[in-house]
Amino acid sequence: MERRSFLKLAAGAGGFAATAGGLAAPALAQGAAARTLRFVPQANLANFDPIWGTQYVVRNAAMMVWDTLYGVNSQLQPKRQMVESEEVSDDGLVWTFKLRPGLKFHDGEPVLAKDAVASLNRWAVRDPMGQMIRGIQNELVAVDDRTFRWSLKKPYPKMLLALAKNNSPCSFVMPERIAKTDPFKQIEEHVGSGPLRFKRDQWVPGAQAVFERFDGYVPREEPADWMAGGKRVLVDRVEWKIMPDAATASAALQSGEIDWWETPLPDLVPVLRNDRRIKVDIADPLGNIGSFRMNHLFPPFDNVKARRAILMAASQEDYMRAIVGSDENLFKLLPSFFTPDTPLYTEEGGDILKGERRMDAAKKLLAEAGYKGEPITVLVAQDMAITKAQGDVTADLLKRLGMNLDFVATDWGTVGARRASKEPPGKGGWHIFHTWHAGADCINPASYTAIRANGDQAWFGWPKNEEIEAARDEWFAAPDLPGEKAAVSKMNKLAMDYGMWLPTGFFLSYQAWRSNITGIVKAPIPFVWNVAKA
Amino acid sequence: MFAYIVRRVLATIPVMAIVALFVFSLLYIAPGDPAAVIAGDQATPADVERIRASLGLDRPYLIRFGEWVWRILQGDLGTSIFTNLPVTRMIAQRIEPTLSLMVVTLGLAIAIAVPLGVIAAWKSGSWIDRLVMVFSVLNFSVPVFVVGYLLAYYFALQLDWFPVQGYTPISEGVGRWLQNLVLPAVALGGGYTALIARITRATMLEVLQQDYIRTARAKGAGQRTVLFLHALKNAAVPIVTVIGIGVALLIGGAVVTESVFAIPGLGRLTVDAILRRDYPVIQGVILLFSFAYVLVNLLIDLSYTLFDPRIRY
Amino acid sequence: MSTTILPPGAVSPKSVAKAAPMPDILATRSPPKGFVGYLWRHPTIAVGGFLLLVMLFIAVFAPWLWTKDPTALAPVMRTRNPSAAAWFGTDMLGRDVYSRVLYGARVSLIVGFGVAFFSSVIGLFIGLVSGFVRWADSIIMRIMDGLMSIPSILLAIALMALTRGSVGNVILAITVAEIPRVSRLVRGVVLSLREQPYVDAAIASGTRTPVIIWRHILPNTLAPMTVQATYICAAAMIAEAILSFIGAGTPPIIPSWGNIMAEGRALWQVKPYIVFFPAIFLSITVLAVNLLGDGLRDSLDPRLAKRV
Repeated sequence: MERRSFLKLAAGAGGFAATAGGLAAPALAQGAAARTLRFVPQANLANFDPIWGTQYVVRNAAMMVWDTLYGVNSQLQPKRQMVESEEVSDDGLVWTFKLRPGLKFHDGEPVLAKDAVASLNRWAVRDPMGQMIRGIQNELVAVDDRTFRWSLKKPYPKMLLALAKNNSPCSFVMPERIAKTDPFKQIEEHVGSGPLRFKRDQWVPGAQAVFERFDGYVPREEPADWMAGGKRVLVDRVEWKIMPDAATASAALQSGEIDWWETPLPDLVPVLRNDRRIKVDIADPLGNIGSFRMNHLFPPFDNVKARRAILMAASQEDYMRAIVGSDENLFKLLPSFFTPDTPLYTEEGGDILKGERRMDAAKKLLAEAGYKGEPITVLVAQDMAITKAQGDVTADLLKRLGMNLDFVATDWGTVGARRASKEPPGKGGWHIFHTWHAGADCINPASYTAIRANGDQAWFGWPKNEEIEAARDEWFAAPDLPGEKAAVSKMNKLAMDYGMWLPTGFFLSYQAWRSNITGIVKAPIPFVWNVAKA
Repeated sequence: MFAYIVRRVLATIPVMAIVALFVFSLLYIAPGDPAAVIAGDQATPADVERIRASLGLDRPYLIRFGEWVWRILQGDLGTSIFTNLPVTRMIAQRIEPTLSLMVVTLGLAIAIAVPLGVIAAWKSGSWIDRLVMVFSVLNFSVPVFVVGYLLAYYFALQLDWFPVQGYTPISEGVGRWLQNLVLPAVALGGGYTALIARITRATMLEVLQQDYIRTARAKGAGQRTVLFLHALKNAAVPIVTVIGIGVALLIGGAVVTESVFAIPGLGRLTVDAILRRDYPVIQGVILLFSFAYVLVNLLIDLSYTLFDPRIRY
Repeated sequence: MSTTILPPGAVSPKSVAKAAPMPDILATRSPPKGFVGYLWRHPTIAVGGFLLLVMLFIAVFAPWLWTKDPTALAPVMRTRNPSAAAWFGTDMLGRDVYSRVLYGARVSLIVGFGVAFFSSVIGLFIGLVSGFVRWADSIIMRIMDGLMSIPSILLAIALMALTRGSVGNVILAITVAEIPRVSRLVRGVVLSLREQPYVDAAIASGTRTPVIIWRHILPNTLAPMTVQATYICAAAMIAEAILSFIGAGTPPIIPSWGNIMAEGRALWQVKPYIVFFPAIFLSITVLAVNLLGDGLRDSLDPRLAKRV
């Protein structure tokens, strides 16, 4: 196939015939076009294995294709999804799960307990909470076709949250033969268990991805609420159109060439608001937290004074305005590492981020930390508006602090690879990179990898602080909300004093859609169930 | 004649060989280790070493080049580092939009440029001549993407005559296909049109001074017959040559035009691949574009006999 | 496409492409004498030269033309429309677009002149070697054919993908793409001059090659090369803008016209001036160089000038 189409190209003729993929898909009847939801996602779907690749965009696509054992609702409570019932022994050591009857994979095969077991095994290698469970696991086995059992050495009270959470990777269920793929290798086949099937033959990375409703899917009876409840798909087809150029996406939405734009540029929102055929709303109430990550392994940021100097000098308002623009409803200053307006939110220890920025004091701290003008390597991904904007502000900040700048302008993929390097910054390593964390990930320490301080095992930057880790363990052990609150406050204070990294602020983003589309909800993930097109 | 064609076709082989060598060296000297990229973040150095061996990356340059060429001749351009898909498949998926854009642009440019050039030469020195020349210099001086945004703003958003972006496959109807391509083709074709108009004007000026044109006029041939039949036919060779050379301009411009108009073609594939340093894709696209370019110019060389019966090989 | 074999007697496409002079926009009245007279006879040189001088002035004296630090951020003041405080408005990070555009002239002109200079020098050298060293000729020309069959923007993009963005690398990448054109031009001149009786005589009388080059070849290549260099300069400035626009050009931290436009492109609908001002400056500069090239060609090539 591949070879033949190339030879056709090579012959310089038959170029049209050689179009194998979906671009030349059979003509859609007019009625069918109206049943197609055209969606512009936040980024390109470049690879598609939600366990191997943990980008948000991969998870969002996977959410349509694979179902999960549990799912969180809009209150972030875990609810049964593929599971019909569960039982936990009185000592909290043995969990027994029973699958709903009638579940089917997209190839028509039934979903069996062994598929769930294989999927969980693969997931647990890559997921931070899964790793914790694996650490205390006795065995994970299928008891019969619909029942499987997970027995532990120690109780794990947050088990259901682990299986329900929306943070990537999620506990997606794949057929056993696919789930047996090495967790560090990408899957080659996309046989899903969710309400839509992935049309691999029409996938054009960088241009489009297509999903079709799977009629064999059995939704739950309850009304849909985020990842929970009945996932009823009301359109025949969902087309993801990749548009890296915001101006193009905006124009396409205005002219009705697309239906739903996940991440409209805030500066363009006034134009969209003026158009009565378009609706604009906050996408995800839990928002995002901007991150300025420092490398704790090398000078000057191996010294807490240098890190605190950054926290003292940085202006969150500058970062926020650079990211979201002039709309003040879209951002909050954040003297905290946790998501504002959630139960555990705390500003304990966050004074260093508040009020006037103290440039002179920061310079003094830097000098005390022994900074002598060595170049600071800042990795800046240019292909992501958020990282690019933060990089520009940081360049300005370092300049004003009198630091020498080695500004590495590159793409997100390269940042992703290079930030893993523990080499010295001059030799392929780094000092600073930027990213952001979904607010949904930062409401508690459960799957908040960026707040860990276990040195070599920690997230990039490798902070090492046993007190913070101890406070984190206290949260996992906490039996009730006051206990959890105390633990999180302690963590926040310790992490601020330690200058773990710089939260650059809390920001929301918009989503926009044509007014003939109904059923779009505020959520950290663009859920397509219940979305209809008139 | 046949011998000439054979000779001419054979002459493209060394050219393509140089292109292939260059494109291969690109990957060879590229920073970053493809094996490390394929192995992923979590791989141990031993894993990377194993992958490198399995990809044959540890062997000498010339052997690898030979194998690479051999694979290409079999239609295998390798696998994208980023998407894990075969490069040939990625190219096949995206060739229709680019080819369509090129063909429409080419047609539009020739349809506009040749008459303009002829008229400018005929009315040499008049206001229309000056206008054509000013238009052509301006077209050389404004970047494609600026023209693109201006066109999209007025003709798509304000006037709503054309879609703002995207591509409709020709299988869904020629009308819709064409409608999607008009704006990008106009944006892309500006410099190219200017180039053809200039060469047409210059060659026509020369031809119109020739004796046989005077003879034709003396014999009472009409103005239109003289211009478009006698003169243009004799001016065809340089014009056609420039049309061929200018295809390079179109290919370069397509890279930008496709991202402005969100056309899922090879140009955007190129930009994406460059930004992600997806070298196998970069190699494949450059190889293909260069091959197409060589091929177009080969065909043009061979077409000279059609225009000028005096040319015999 | 170099392998193009032209029929005998046909006009070489290259020379014809350059043989289309700009008609004088101003009609000649009474021709004055001297330098002024020269400019009077070649208004395209006058206009192009003047505009280019203005741009050069802007580039050199940017710091003293009421500019601010072109990289200083002021996010609170972002996306302000042009006003008395910020003549060209501010961009999405609150930087002063006027200052950025003026400083941007430096990058464009450095790239334009740099590429024109280096590709001329290297192309001249390769062309001379090719024209005088028989055995090297076919090898060199095959390599040039290969390079020329890769569309030049693609070639530059590919080279940029190999390196980290810097002004030097941009110049290098575009230069490599332009060298084949210059070297073919020089080789053509050398080959045609070698047919000339006086050069033939010089060679026969044992004059050393460097002397022949110095006395006969260089003076004759100077004119066509100057014209070619102006076109290369214009093409290079456009190429830099395109490279930066797609994110493979000068590092984004440097205010080049391409970078300013690339950053402003998303806001094109609401804040068109961010793209508009650098686009105007770029277009004027390229136009100036193109006009200069057209004028120089007419004035340096009397054969062509007489013909029209």
